[in-house]
Amino acid sequence: MFRRLVVCLLACWVGGALAQEITADEIIRKAMDHYRGLSSYSEMSMTIHRPDWERTMTMRAWTEGDKHTLVRVIEPKKDAGNGTLSVDGNMWTYTPKINRVIKIPSSMMSQSWLGSDFSNKDVSKDTNIIDQYDHSLLEHYEQAGHTVYVIQSIPHEEAAVVWGKEILWVRDDWVLLEQQFWDQDGALVKTLKALEIAPMGGRNVAAVMRMSNQDKPDEWTELRTSAVEFDLELPANQFTLSNLRNPRE
Amino acid sequence: MSLPLAALGTLAWRNLWRNHRRTLIMLAAIAIGVWAMIFMAALMRGMTDQMVRNGLQTLPGELQLHQRDYRRDPSVVNSMEPPAGELLQVLQSAPVAGWAGRVRVPAVISSERGSRSVTLLGIDPEAEQALGSLPEDLFEGRGLEGKGDRGLVIGASLARRLETALGKRVVIMSQDPDNNVAERGARVVGIYRGRLQGDEDRFVYAGRAAVQELLGIGQQISEIAVSGNDYRRVDEWYPRIAAAAGSGLETLTWTELDPFLGSMLAVQDGFTLVFMVVVFLALSFGLVNTLVMAIFERVREIGLMQALGMRPGLILGQIMLESLFLLCLGLVAGNLLAVLTIAPLASGIDISSVAQGMEMMGMSATLYPALHVQDMLMSTAVVIILGLLASLAPAWRASRLDPVAALTRD
Repeated sequence: MFRRLVVCLLACWVGGALAQEITADEIIRKAMDHYRGLSSYSEMSMTIHRPDWERTMTMRAWTEGDKHTLVRVIEPKKDAGNGTLSVDGNMWTYTPKINRVIKIPSSMMSQSWLGSDFSNKDVSKDTNIIDQYDHSLLEHYEQAGHTVYVIQSIPHEEAAVVWGKEILWVRDDWVLLEQQFWDQDGALVKTLKALEIAPMGGRNVAAVMRMSNQDKPDEWTELRTSAVEFDLELPANQFTLSNLRNPRE
Repeated sequence: MSLPLAALGTLAWRNLWRNHRRTLIMLAAIAIGVWAMIFMAALMRGMTDQMVRNGLQTLPGELQLHQRDYRRDPSVVNSMEPPAGELLQVLQSAPVAGWAGRVRVPAVISSERGSRSVTLLGIDPEAEQALGSLPEDLFEGRGLEGKGDRGLVIGASLARRLETALGKRVVIMSQDPDNNVAERGARVVGIYRGRLQGDEDRFVYAGRAAVQELLGIGQQISEIAVSGNDYRRVDEWYPRIAAAAGSGLETLTWTELDPFLGSMLAVQDGFTLVFMVVVFLALSFGLVNTLVMAIFERVREIGLMQALGMRPGLILGQIMLESLFLLCLGLVAGNLLAVLTIAPLASGIDISSVAQGMEMMGMSATLYPALHVQDMLMSTAVVIILGLLASLAPAWRASRLDPVAALTRD
């Protein structure tokens, strides 16, 4: 009895210590690594929902490290071949219909990406959160056998971020459950939420994620990942303008 | 044997005051006409002056230097080195009253709820002071405190559109010379009210060094604005600066930079003259009428003078002298009246009730009448010349009277 109590206490202490040891910065880093891997390939569909219309696109996406992303549209047919390449914060799009690679000027970085609720910046700089913010662990709680960390991230004074703060819910298997974007007056503006979590590519990933705007509840964009592979070998020219224009797959 | 001019003058002067009621009415008419001409000219000059000044403060400066290709493509690639050597010397000597080097690039400013394209001005507040190009009406917060200031001063209208406020962070984005995104978060430290609402939406002010750092262009600037404090005399000193600037830079005066403003000035100057002539034409009918009536009343008297041996030429001269005296008296009174009425208005006339309409013409809500000596001289000349021409006809007629017929008229 006494031994069991000691073991239990010890376990709690070790558990507590483990929870204490991990810092907010590490949690964020791990969540980003988890979701992008060293490199990744995924197939997904994006549904843009508006009160009077809805459309779905199927896409393939490749990522490498923090700063290389390539997305290519497969369906519907009229958008097929449209590509977006992002390298080190710069962004290019390719449209087969006009056979042109266009660099997205800085003036358009905060505009919508492919008509969705994601901005061009969301796509090209989604890992900025790691080093442009100060992270602090607000709390952690148990949920369905997992520990969930709630992290508040406040952007640095001169970071190119408009938000007042972001709040992230990260599960202890490093799945990002929810990301909230708050304005500087303390009002919630938009939310990115994992609606379904499923094992894919050898780890648990958010299979369905929805970005929604607080002011317009009937407008949202949903990303549904159907297949994902992590840490694969990508050709050296994967993230180049010529590959954006002439896909070699 | 003619009467000496002095005697003719005395005669004319006395004739003028024999019927002083008629003379006073005529005097009043001339004085009011002259006053109207000068006063309206002052108002119109004030309007033009302000339009041009507003334009020049926004431009800013009466002269600007750019890299040769900047005006065709106002991007950061077409920047230039800050002035040095001969150019710097010319800029620091009279008659240049002030000059400022500024970075001026297209940029995007975003808040949580919106983003707008703006013109980002990286300025050195001290240098801009001399050009009067800084927003005068700082409505909240503070102005920029030096060229290293890392804050932003934005317009009230822009703040409203972005749903941001004083003290909040916004993101300013532009492109560096290699076409990479250059962006930074910055706090809104001041909110200004522009002279025109369009300016409020368009211009975002930041410290020059901070903008240069953001764009990664070292000490380079986009333009040099120069002011000599008198926009009508730029042509006198601009060739020296153009020569010092050399062929790598484009030196343009404000009439070339803003052709609309230049032609506006020319049109207004012409319009002022036309206006004076129109006012005088109306006035001259009164003048001619009064003189004709005066001669009708004095037919017998003129006949008597002719019968006594006064020749037609002298009659003509006497009547012309009468008009000249009348005109001179009227001009003195009118000019005095104009000076007296314009002086108290020097602090400006509030026209805010029609400010919105006036803004389209580049004007603000206060009108400052501008009394120019040249306008007073011009109206005086117009009145004397046209007045004498107008009185020539009745005087001619009087000199041609037949003395017998005139004397026997009842």
